[in-house]
Amino acid sequence: MTPPDAAEGLRRGDRVERLEIGDAWLVEPWSGREGRACVRVESGRVVGVEWLDGSGPRGGDGERERVEPSHARGILVLPGLFDLHAHFREPGGEEAETIASGLDAAGRGGFTRVCLMPNTEPPVDSDAGVARARAAAEASGSPVAAYVLGTSTRGREGRALSPMGELTEAGAVGFSDDGSPIPDPALLRSALAYAAGLGRVVIEHPEERRLTSGAEAHEGVPSIILGLRGSPAAAESGAVAAALAVLAEVVRDAPPGATPRLHLTHLSTAASVELVRRAKAERLPVTCDVTPHHLALHDGWLGGDRRFAWEAAQRPWAGEPAAALPYDPATRVNPPLRSPADALALAAGLVDGTVDAIATDHAPHREIDKSVEFGDAANGISGIETAVGLLLHAVDAAILDLMTVVRALTTGPRRVLGQAVAPRQLGGDAHRATATRDGPFTAGALADLVVIDRMERWTVTRESLASRGKNTPLLGRQLPGRVLLTVAGGRLAYADPQFLAADGTT
Amino acid sequence: MTEAGEPLDSLPGWPRHLLDVAGMSQVAVEEVMRRADEMASVLARPTARLPTLQGRRVTILFYEASTRTRVSFEIAAKALSADVVNITVAGSSVTKGESLIDTVRTIEALGSDVLVLRHSRSGAPYLAAQHFGGHIVNAGDGWHAHPTQALLDLYTLRRHLGGKGGLRGRKIVILGDILHSRVARSNVWTLTGAGAHVWLCGPPTLIAGFEGWARAMRIGDAASPASDASARGELSVTSDLDWALREADAVMCLRLQRERQEAGLLPSLREYSARYALTAERLRLAHPEAVVLHPGPMNEGTEIAPEVVTSDRSLIGEQVANGVAVRMALLSLMSAQA
Repeated sequence: MTPPDAAEGLRRGDRVERLEIGDAWLVEPWSGREGRACVRVESGRVVGVEWLDGSGPRGGDGERERVEPSHARGILVLPGLFDLHAHFREPGGEEAETIASGLDAAGRGGFTRVCLMPNTEPPVDSDAGVARARAAAEASGSPVAAYVLGTSTRGREGRALSPMGELTEAGAVGFSDDGSPIPDPALLRSALAYAAGLGRVVIEHPEERRLTSGAEAHEGVPSIILGLRGSPAAAESGAVAAALAVLAEVVRDAPPGATPRLHLTHLSTAASVELVRRAKAERLPVTCDVTPHHLALHDGWLGGDRRFAWEAAQRPWAGEPAAALPYDPATRVNPPLRSPADALALAAGLVDGTVDAIATDHAPHREIDKSVEFGDAANGISGIETAVGLLLHAVDAAILDLMTVVRALTTGPRRVLGQAVAPRQLGGDAHRATATRDGPFTAGALADLVVIDRMERWTVTRESLASRGKNTPLLGRQLPGRVLLTVAGGRLAYADPQFLAADGTT
Repeated sequence: MTEAGEPLDSLPGWPRHLLDVAGMSQVAVEEVMRRADEMASVLARPTARLPTLQGRRVTILFYEASTRTRVSFEIAAKALSADVVNITVAGSSVTKGESLIDTVRTIEALGSDVLVLRHSRSGAPYLAAQHFGGHIVNAGDGWHAHPTQALLDLYTLRRHLGGKGGLRGRKIVILGDILHSRVARSNVWTLTGAGAHVWLCGPPTLIAGFEGWARAMRIGDAASPASDASARGELSVTSDLDWALREADAVMCLRLQRERQEAGLLPSLREYSARYALTAERLRLAHPEAVVLHPGPMNEGTEIAPEVVTSDRSLIGEQVANGVAVRMALLSLMSAQA
């Protein structure tokens, strides 16, 4: 592999003039093909992709090979990843993250597109708010695309609709009150119907708050043992069921060409996934995502268990002395880490297509908001840089296959946002348009890819994270799959220092 | 064998802090029991004082109102000649004041070897332990644990139900508001650890979720090596008080708080009393020599009938006395460490 312009010391934001990746494992979800391939980039554009195994569109190397690339180098090339759900805290929470630091972290994590959740202080509920976020992304110099979401309700207060038309004109790609559900079903109904007229999705955080008042942890054996106030699974699945019932009626009453779309974010329970599965069978226009931490971790982590969900499923944690101290505030997140069985149900939902996307719910926090008693700690995990590692762990454990993971991080999120990120919405950039329609590995498309050393493990440390939020229970942990290079829109978003320092072909 | 006050470097696995009784080794539990016996005999002397903690400072930091536990620790520390500092923080002022970490660091900077901490948040002692150079004794955290209470309850029960097999196979009922009780949780660990069959009993709303724990414990024991599995007692959960009491060797009543009714968990305190209060009549279902415990403070007439409190089956007064001996044992064991 020839690193991009190794000698000249390429910097973030610079156009990638020349890059050749020979004999890597390429995953291309647009065609559903994966296999050994060479990729060449010149002047920021893909000039050629050569498949080396000459096989059909599915790769044809058999299950084993798709799980475990057999080529010598263990270099993985994926399309640039798309994060549907991240909190960059600007404005109002810049100590925890800024749009610039968040985009840096995204590049470090292999992401080239990120949706910014609007629950900032103040929330993004006006055209000025959208413009401000877009300007901050532009000013950051990062080539990672920031897609701005507007709130569903004015001030995120759950009382009146946000100015959705104004927000859309300003460039909002969808609406969400994330952090809270829309508390009033009548308002959810209006939001879905109104957003449909604008071709925008409503992203709901499903939670029945009357069941989660004071909740600290998933209600289960660990919460009982640890004496933490439980958040029952029914708080989520009940809200999912209610939202789906509302959606069905809005769909029935919608005028032609204005199909309402509901996206349920960070689903965490088996029951929620099952409800979506049934709704999809009834052809309701619903999509959903799950987070890497809900897929890989579980409520035993609150007790100090550090096994992954698939390792703990046979014998979940039940109070025995564990690998880490209990009550680590870094494990506090909403929705809470659920049971190992829930985690496996989320994975099954991804595999069967019920779950459309994996979203990080990257939620950085200041040190002081986490260095407190567990029940007083802020909810959230800083996760945009550990997502790939956790998901490759799941692939290694044969819980997920690589193609499913890549789809959920590329084509899935695009399907969720629909026309808001469709080619014609992206102005005059025909090449980026090509990339969006046919994937980034089309000759002539702007290079948008991530290169990962599949064989190398890296240790998550405070220093290794570009995010200002160091709040992850994975600190000190080794993860597989080092991101070597992220190219977004033909420009360098991230390069591993060692990778840049290397020269010649590898 | 060690004498009271002697350093215990020879005792493997004695933890630096006492944060929980879950996972406490049986060797450590036995050492506490043995040393508590010694302390009880010290307390029986006219001058009940040992030099063990001479020149050491014990800080008692309570973020929750308590009289009995705080005073018990204070008497225990003073009987070991410690210099005792008492800090009581009213619950509401905590949030506007210093963080727990700041407070703990300040206490360390002012010179304190042992910090006895009570806190309304489950797990708070684990946070404190990461920022304190000395020893932390958990004097109750949220709904999670009350290790010294569980150890004094174990000590008290062993004195009465001792016999050859100790508590092995004994039926011990914990009755009342299990859900919100750190005493219940810690007693589950110590009593099943001693081989007893623990029954948790209360209205369904106040025992919710514990059947899951009992099931997990059975699965866990089934998967353990045979010796461990036979060592640990069983855990059962029921809302049927009569069934729970049948042939019970001991009944531990828990305090019922008025808030439970306000939270919609109970129709009324009156109904609770009618169905779940421990009365002399109900106690007849238990073994004729069954003993009665209560960690206090009691609501006589709500969860326990006055005639049971004053009956000869009641060990409630003895629990208080044993509390001092057990806390002396723990303080001396901890401070014996470097």
